[in-house]
Amino acid sequence: MCETCGCGQPDNFTIRMPGEELTDDHNRDHDHEHHHEHEHDDDHKHGDRHKHHHEHEEDHPHGHSYEQSSPTPRMIDISKDILSENNLTAERNRGFFEGRSIICLNLVSAPGSGKTTILEKTINERAKEREIFVIEGDQQSMNDAERIKKTGVPVVQINTGAGCHLDARMVNSAIKRLELSRNSVLFIENVGNLVCPALFDLGETKRVVVMSVTEGEDKPEKYPYMFASSHLCIINKTDLLPYVDFNVEKAMEYARRTNPDLEIILMSAKTGEGMQLWYEWIDKNQ
Amino acid sequence: MHELSLALEVLGLVTSEAAKNRVKVIHEIQIEIGKISGVESDVFQAALEISARNSILDNARIIIINSPGKGRCMSCSEEFDMEDLLALCPNCQHQPSEITGGRELKVLSMMAE
Ligand SMILES: Nc1nc2c(ncn2[C@@H]2O[C@H](COP(=O)(O)OP(=O)(O)O)[C@@H](O)[C@H]2O)c(=O)[nH]1
Ligand SMILES: [Mg+2]
Ligand SMILES: [Zn+2]
Repeated sequence: MCETCGCGQPDNFTIRMPGEELTDDHNRDHDHEHHHEHEHDDDHKHGDRHKHHHEHEEDHPHGHSYEQSSPTPRMIDISKDILSENNLTAERNRGFFEGRSIICLNLVSAPGSGKTTILEKTINERAKEREIFVIEGDQQSMNDAERIKKTGVPVVQINTGAGCHLDARMVNSAIKRLELSRNSVLFIENVGNLVCPALFDLGETKRVVVMSVTEGEDKPEKYPYMFASSHLCIINKTDLLPYVDFNVEKAMEYARRTNPDLEIILMSAKTGEGMQLWYEWIDKNQ
Repeated sequence: MHELSLALEVLGLVTSEAAKNRVKVIHEIQIEIGKISGVESDVFQAALEISARNSILDNARIIIINSPGKGRCMSCSEEFDMEDLLALCPNCQHQPSEITGGRELKVLSMMAE
């Protein structure tokens, strides 16, 4: 967590472009933006890399809140969502995207379902018509960012270290490294994990969950939160259907049980099946 | 382990609330974790206890309230208990049109001076 101010924010993620060395100065992107009300704590010393936003939007009457501290314990009402800080940052990201007509898609899946492959193919077939940018999330490696870099589109890698999901702050820092243009598409490949990313809004336009036919068709039932919070489900690797025991109907039924509104596209990033539907779905989000 | 991230969020939130309310000692903190929020209450509590060390929450009693999962049936509109996200209406076996309870993740209050 944040050593300087003890604010409990994980600061151990790094952001870099492929080929860029990890220098302490540049990449330890500790400019998480606090929405703490720090007005009173004068003895609270911060390095100047901290950007404090003294927005006192929380000036609502707390009744007892602004009284001098009394020696007896008192009950202080807080009533705040645990994720309120993340959600606030997510809304700022969302506003940034909306203001520039950027479609931001958050791709989530278990490791190996085909997220990076889908992105590579999408970029190869679509980047001429519409500018594409990518944020890659991974605990340690730069592999996916290197793969995307080969396609020629701008990419930054977020390494979350011990963290098992991206959060809105990380994305907020990452978009400062990309010169996102109007009307572009920003893909965020989340850390391969079907549990943790579910709770963290990044400010994306839509969330896309990818599963592949080499996984069990009961995946949606095992990870209901991820499927419930997604807008589109891609069932990938359909070219392998003849060789695996995967019931597409059942998978679709499980997926819709967790989320009746979930759209579903059957896809093979290898043969190209379903890619056209995917591109149409992306454009529909404009 | 998103429970750890959430514990750190709570610590940040409580630290700033403590500064805002000018309190130095927190005796107790009440947190609501809905039963179908996707957060394991026990794991979260353990994560918060670890994160609390040497912080303003160090000696605070952590009280977690688990609000029950509730949904409103899309067919008969009755509210029913949801053990998990896949629960169906016991009357008509339909999905809920909305989840009306159990997804809360909230810091409710603290006892402090
Ligand atoms: N047969 C087949 N293999 C695929 C398909 N899509 C991806 N793969 C393979 O699945 C593996 C994991 O893909 P990757 O894109 O790295 O998955 P990620 O971890 O979700 O990013 C790679 O070996 C890909 O070549 C597909 O549609 N069909
Ligand atoms: Mg990948
Ligand atoms: Zn019913």
